[in-house]
Amino acid sequence: MPVDAALPAQGRPAPPRLLPRLARGAVRVATPVCSVMALWYLAIWFSGLPAFVIPRPERVVEVLWVDHAFILEHLWATLEVATIGFFWANVAGIGLAVLFDILPPTRHMLMPAAITLRNVPYIALISVLMLAFGDTILSKTTIVALAGFFPVLVNTLAGLRAADEVQLDRMRILNASWWQTFSRVRLPYAIPSIVAAQEITGSGSIIVAIAAEWMISSTGLGYVINNAMQNYRGDRVYAVALVATVLSFLIYSFVHWLGRRLDWR
Amino acid sequence: MAAPVSIRGVSRKFGETSALRAVDLEVAAGEFVALVGPSGCGKTTLLRIVADLLAPSSGEVRIGSDSAAAARRKRLLGLVSQRPAVLPWKRAIDDVRFTQRIAGRVGFDPAKVLREFGLEGHEAKRARQLSGGMLQRVNIASAIAYDPSVLLMDEPFAALDEMKREEIGEWFDHELAQRPKTVLFVTHHIDEAVMLADRLLVFSPAPGRVLEIVAVEVPRPRDPSFRQDRRFVSIAAHVRGLLMHKEAA
Repeated sequence: MPVDAALPAQGRPAPPRLLPRLARGAVRVATPVCSVMALWYLAIWFSGLPAFVIPRPERVVEVLWVDHAFILEHLWATLEVATIGFFWANVAGIGLAVLFDILPPTRHMLMPAAITLRNVPYIALISVLMLAFGDTILSKTTIVALAGFFPVLVNTLAGLRAADEVQLDRMRILNASWWQTFSRVRLPYAIPSIVAAQEITGSGSIIVAIAAEWMISSTGLGYVINNAMQNYRGDRVYAVALVATVLSFLIYSFVHWLGRRLDWR
Repeated sequence: MAAPVSIRGVSRKFGETSALRAVDLEVAAGEFVALVGPSGCGKTTLLRIVADLLAPSSGEVRIGSDSAAAARRKRLLGLVSQRPAVLPWKRAIDDVRFTQRIAGRVGFDPAKVLREFGLEGHEAKRARQLSGGMLQRVNIASAIAYDPSVLLMDEPFAALDEMKREEIGEWFDHELAQRPKTVLFVTHHIDEAVMLADRLLVFSPAPGRVLEIVAVEVPRPRDPSFRQDRRFVSIAAHVRGLLMHKEAA
């Protein structure tokens, strides 16, 4: 005997046609580009700073075109550092969160060390790593991993604790194993928090990799910025900054897109 | 297959606070017992002790010949909570299958159960696409899908409005006739308890102890017209009187 009816279907507006959608997309891209350009030109006109400090946008585009092979080569080096560091940040962050969840005493043992590591100035860490390993990929990826693991750890830990008590009771009454409860309930509940951490760490990895390269490396976008500064090539600094910004934005957008597909809410 | 439940001298303290004091109860296989009483009187505590989700400070619980822990390990217990435990990322039918997979036992065909529960056409919907009443029926379907012997229900219809609550109560009464289970049912709602239960365990305010066990000697499933029956009115008034008298005291 049916005792109640389904909720009425949600009325969804029909998707807009292709041309209006394209126009809306173009406006969405053009608006921030135009406003940045306007601010850029205003800064040139009103600051009175020389061109090697604040070059014209068309000069930056020209550098991007002329030096694209050189920038690309160093971009790959930065991407390598950022990707490996990001991977280890996740291994360490998620791994420690799971360990703390399984064995709560380990949290009291290791969390103070993690917090301390988080609060050591990265400049000091980079210097120590440089002394220990020299200008190697190990020193640079280590600093990216150290900078990224803490948000992953904290968010994953919070996510694992966000599992609904009602669901956990059900798993207990079903005599589910630890792995079943973890993989079927706790981890899915933690996914929105883990994704939020990836949004911070993913784009942050590029920034930290560039900072590390700026200090200790002879490759990567950080090195290019350092080199360009020493040669009064503000145009190249701006070109690299533009590439790094677009890259960080793309990584953030990709993680956000992926997160929305994984988010069950 | 329903199993008898035996609760012997069960007490529970939280620190120095006594939540439950020496509860004794014998529930026959297939019997429906409602636990009624004021908030904080230990009804849910008792239910969680029977479910082996909480250890008693003293006393013991037997499900048939098993301890509560052994019964839980054998998946003889089913739990229905006030908030439905339907996984929000699963479709209704997948949630029912999920409990069967975890329990390692297929008691009923999930599609058939959902159809019989009036959910035909809604099997592929997720929790947020279902109304409160439908969601609670999916919750009950998941809880019985692996055919547990004892159903432990903690205010399962509390989130529903009065009309829906009566409807789903009547539906559940008829469902139990098809699939007999021993039921322990926590509720604040005296009329609901009288309508559904064979016996009512009336609790005193905290620390909870049993004031009286009231029998409703009318065969189940009951017709909705039972609400107008002299016996229904008289039992409900008696239970209400017990609780009011005790709270005033």
